[in-house]
Amino acid sequence: MGKRRISSEALAIPMSSMIDVTFLLLIYFIVTKREEIPEAHLAVNLPSPNAHATKVDEKPNLLEIEVHPGQFYLKKTPQTLPQLEAMLAKLAAYDPDQTVIIKTSLKAQTQELVQVLDLCKGLNLTKLNVMTLK
Amino acid sequence: MKARDDSALETPVAALIDVVFQLIIFFVVTSAIDKDIVDESIRLAQAKHVAAIEKNDPRTVLINVAEDGGINIAMQPLNLVQLQQILSATRTQSGDSVPIVIRADGTALYRHVDGAMQAVGKAGLYRVQLSAVATGDAKPATR
Repeated sequence: MGKRRISSEALAIPMSSMIDVTFLLLIYFIVTKREEIPEAHLAVNLPSPNAHATKVDEKPNLLEIEVHPGQFYLKKTPQTLPQLEAMLAKLAAYDPDQTVIIKTSLKAQTQELVQVLDLCKGLNLTKLNVMTLK
Repeated sequence: MKARDDSALETPVAALIDVVFQLIIFFVVTSAIDKDIVDESIRLAQAKHVAAIEKNDPRTVLINVAEDGGINIAMQPLNLVQLQQILSATRTQSGDSVPIVIRADGTALYRHVDGAMQAVGKAGLYRVQLSAVATGDAKPATR
């Protein structure tokens, strides 16, 4: 009595459905993949509720920047962004601990405020305060 | 001799497919939640001197401010009163050192951001940050 041969087709693992699922997964990940945007956070100091007002005898070294729509002012002098950067670099080199007050017009765009905050951070001016220009 | 049953040799793929589909559903659901928090319609301003944040404080509250001034948290539109109520509740729950990140559209007028900042201040929170796209080569920071 001869041995019956096992069909090689019957031994194969059915891959078709597994491949379907794998392709579905692949398409899903391709479609939902989004580029990670590197986000930076620029601190805006609001008064802390725990901070108590302290009397300071000497006048603090304040640097005042005004942000208007399409225009910046440093100590009331109109500046373009590159001019402001150059002036701030000089002032930061003189005294990096000075407090910078950024007065922003309600009509200015957010990116104009961000540009000034970014400049100050780049020059290691960390004592930043944002105020609203009314 | 008894004939061997060929169907018994097949690998059972049905259970495997079940698991893979469960994985797909999991990824679909969780990625939808993630997208809700970050409003992708907002085009952030660019900052070239500041390093990108690699790790956020898990308590961070993201406030989205759209170009037209619309405010939302996790895609939930809010007016300033509602925003202040949510922030006050957050303060009660997690303390006043909770970081607030304002993701404002670069072209949005500052008055909209100012409104959000006023609400933050009124809620007794003070750690406010403005979000921007880090375009420079400053080293990433962890906060």
